[in-house]
Amino acid sequence: MKATIAKIFLFMLAVVSLYAYVGQLVPQFEEHPPQKKVITTETPKEELVASGQEILRGKGGCLVCHKDQERGNERGPDLRQAAGKAATRKPGTAAEAYLIESLVTPDAFLVEGYPKMMPPSMKPPANLSMAEVKAVVAYLQSLGGAEVTVKVEAADVAAEKKSSGPVHRGKALMAEQGCVGCHKVEGEGGEIGPELTKVAERHEPAKIAQKIADPTLWTAEGFQTGLMPPRPDMPEGDRQEIAAYLAGLSGKSYSPTGTASPWSHEGVRLGAVIAVFNIVMLLVLGWARAREKSTLSPGPSPIEGEGRNTAGAAS
Amino acid sequence: MAQAITTSAFHALKGTYKGVVKISLMLAATYLVAQGLSSFLPAADYRSLFGFSNRTAVWVIAELHLMFAAFVLGVPIFAFITEIVGVATKEKRYDELAREFTKLLAMAYTLTAVLGCVLLVLFIVLYPKLTGYLSGLFKPTWLLYIVLIFGEVIVAYFYWYSWDLLQGAAKKWHLVLGLLVNLWGTALLFVADIWVTFMMSPAGIDDANNLVSLWDAINNHTWMPINIHRLLANVAFGGAIVAAYAAVRFLNAKTDEEKARFDWMGYVGSFIAIAAFIPLPFAGYWLGREIYQFSEQMGVSMMGGSFAWLWILQAMLIGGLFLASNFYLWLGMGRIPGAERYTKFQIGMMIVLTIGFIVWATPRSIIASGAEMSAMGGSHHPFLGLFGVMAAKNTAVNLMILTTFFSFMLYRRGNRIPVVAWATAGKAVQALVIAAAAVVVVGYGVYSYFVPSITRIGFSVYQVSAVLAAMALFVAIDIPLLKGASVIGAIRWGQIPARAQYALFFLAVSFTWLMGLMGYIRSGIRQYWHIYGRVMDESANAYTMSHGHATIIVSCIVVIFFLLVSVVFWLAARNDPPPGPRPAGGGDGGSAADAASMPLAAASLGRPGGSGAGGRAA
Repeated sequence: MKATIAKIFLFMLAVVSLYAYVGQLVPQFEEHPPQKKVITTETPKEELVASGQEILRGKGGCLVCHKDQERGNERGPDLRQAAGKAATRKPGTAAEAYLIESLVTPDAFLVEGYPKMMPPSMKPPANLSMAEVKAVVAYLQSLGGAEVTVKVEAADVAAEKKSSGPVHRGKALMAEQGCVGCHKVEGEGGEIGPELTKVAERHEPAKIAQKIADPTLWTAEGFQTGLMPPRPDMPEGDRQEIAAYLAGLSGKSYSPTGTASPWSHEGVRLGAVIAVFNIVMLLVLGWARAREKSTLSPGPSPIEGEGRNTAGAAS
Repeated sequence: MAQAITTSAFHALKGTYKGVVKISLMLAATYLVAQGLSSFLPAADYRSLFGFSNRTAVWVIAELHLMFAAFVLGVPIFAFITEIVGVATKEKRYDELAREFTKLLAMAYTLTAVLGCVLLVLFIVLYPKLTGYLSGLFKPTWLLYIVLIFGEVIVAYFYWYSWDLLQGAAKKWHLVLGLLVNLWGTALLFVADIWVTFMMSPAGIDDANNLVSLWDAINNHTWMPINIHRLLANVAFGGAIVAAYAAVRFLNAKTDEEKARFDWMGYVGSFIAIAAFIPLPFAGYWLGREIYQFSEQMGVSMMGGSFAWLWILQAMLIGGLFLASNFYLWLGMGRIPGAERYTKFQIGMMIVLTIGFIVWATPRSIIASGAEMSAMGGSHHPFLGLFGVMAAKNTAVNLMILTTFFSFMLYRRGNRIPVVAWATAGKAVQALVIAAAAVVVVGYGVYSYFVPSITRIGFSVYQVSAVLAAMALFVAIDIPLLKGASVIGAIRWGQIPARAQYALFFLAVSFTWLMGLMGYIRSGIRQYWHIYGRVMDESANAYTMSHGHATIIVSCIVVIFFLLVSVVFWLAARNDPPPGPRPAGGGDGGSAADAASMPLAAASLGRPGGSGAGGRAA
């Protein structure tokens, strides 16, 4: 018995090891997330080209289908020729405009022989900003040996996305907790308290979270002290969520660090429901036990012991 | 009689209540631990587990939970089907087999629930920000999930504990319970898939990631394909694990009767595993197609990007599964009188399977030095490169499926000779149907080389349809064809070489490793996104690890899983009844059915009204 089990175990290890070994034989590489590039209107052209190359090969995911050197994928057109052919691709569209269009709305014009398959670069998963799109265009222009004409405008930089993290529940929580009854946020809400859309420019988000629990921390100028009700009962996680939402409105990146789990309230309520359910089941069991007793004959049941075994075995 | 029924009912309720208490306590402990750790640990978006990678911790526990969940969802489907067969054929051995499987469940449920609770704590503690976001989006589905868990526990435990109570005329109610166990289990699977598929192919949210439509978020691109894929995979996995259990018991069997019983059990397990395994690649195509529909880029990353090499591994695994399945069937034909007529086909089938295996495992790009690549004119070999693309691989796998199906049909026909007047014509039509499907598969395979990838992936549907249609037609002809067929001899259960049992064990290990690998690919293709394209992974573990590293983790998970499963098997075997008197004639080839039903018969002896095989269960 033991020898058979040992053989089976060794067999299992041998099969698993074989698969793990084959896993070591295929090419080994790690893929890291793209580094965030800072592109401004002042970025020199060489740097813009370098950033474009990095985005194209990383965040943009362009090389999944295209190639920018001799070796590479050919599902999409060869990018080394993109800038050179751009001027003549679409009648009435200049080279630079065509390149930008092909990245932002790729389905607007399809190169003959290629299907509709390219995702718009400013949408997920690439999610590029216009400044990043222009950096890619700069790289494409440099690939063809042409002059880099593309320019990053102030509007392109301003429109750059601030954060890709999860949307915070702060907005919904402010409505749920009645904050907007007194405070105006993003143009909506009451005026009893100060306007909060840009409050994070004046206070640190962590302090805002504390202020919700303890309003005496400070009082905005022109408003009455003690008017705001303290909310220490509000879960820490919820207060952090509100702070994160307000931080986002001021262009700050702040994560709700949630010192309580998202189910702090629901968990207790659910626990109560489950406890009641358990009690109901216990009552049903008690009733069944009573019925069993009432039908039992004076002598010992021939199957009682077996019943116990059954329950014990399967539990 | 009434007394016995009341006692059985009480014990069935008591057993069920134990399950409810168990799950209630686990949930309470999960809540307290999660709340306690969240309050105690320093605030952060990501946390590590005592210096251990948070990603690896979640990965290992999630995969183990998934494997046990697959087991506890797959086995009841298996048991239910077997129980129905038992009622339909009036053969008690099927009922006994279903009971034997169900016996494995109680312990497996507990392990699954414990792993699920640990996973939940890890999510809340290690990924508080992401968990918070997902919880907010899917709060109604979380509540539904908890309701379903309780429903599943109640129905499944009652299904097990009422086995003796609901026999005879009440058997239909036990079947209803079996159906309910599977419906609840499937609902649980579908709800759990919501969160996982949303992370792959998010929908129902606006540009700022706010929820717009809960239903759209649920019914995202990959939800239903993954539901179906997992459902089939669970059946195949459950069957493979049960077959492995039977193989272990067969190898340790001391008597011919035991060998006959576990040989038969292994056969039934492998049959259901293979039957569910055959349509699995089709469900996989559907999933692949939906991934492409959702994001061409994600699809290309999966099939042609950094994950492409893992498909070579997958090909090796599935190729191995096909070979092992056929090997088992061919060895099994050795115990079927008359099956030697079909030995001549085995060489041809072996050639198709081997060539299919080789084609499927051919990589698109060859690992080569610079000099070798210049000699080849690139990283693709001028000739072998043609077999590294999906056009060839789809063709290969469809032919392998067709071959395995044919192999099984021959096995089924082994000891029978059709006697109907149209037997010759029927067999000729069957041969034509298989040939026609092969022509369609090869034809579309060749044509695939001349069309773009988005069109090519659509061809797999035609290839799959041809194979499915051929299988359906073949079976539709086979049933009346073999009606009243003359039987050459009874199957000699138990008279199968030990290596066939290792083939069954190989199937189970390979299935499990395959599940681990595919789970990694499915999750890994999100790359550095928690929610693809929407919520970026900003932790230190956002990178895609090397394949070698990933396969070592998958291997560790598989070894841990089998160690845990061994505990479940050991506990189940420990509760077996001591060997008792058995009716004569067990191992003589024709009476394996009797041999298999013996323990039940023995257990039923002396029971009032035959109501309690409870002692048997104990």
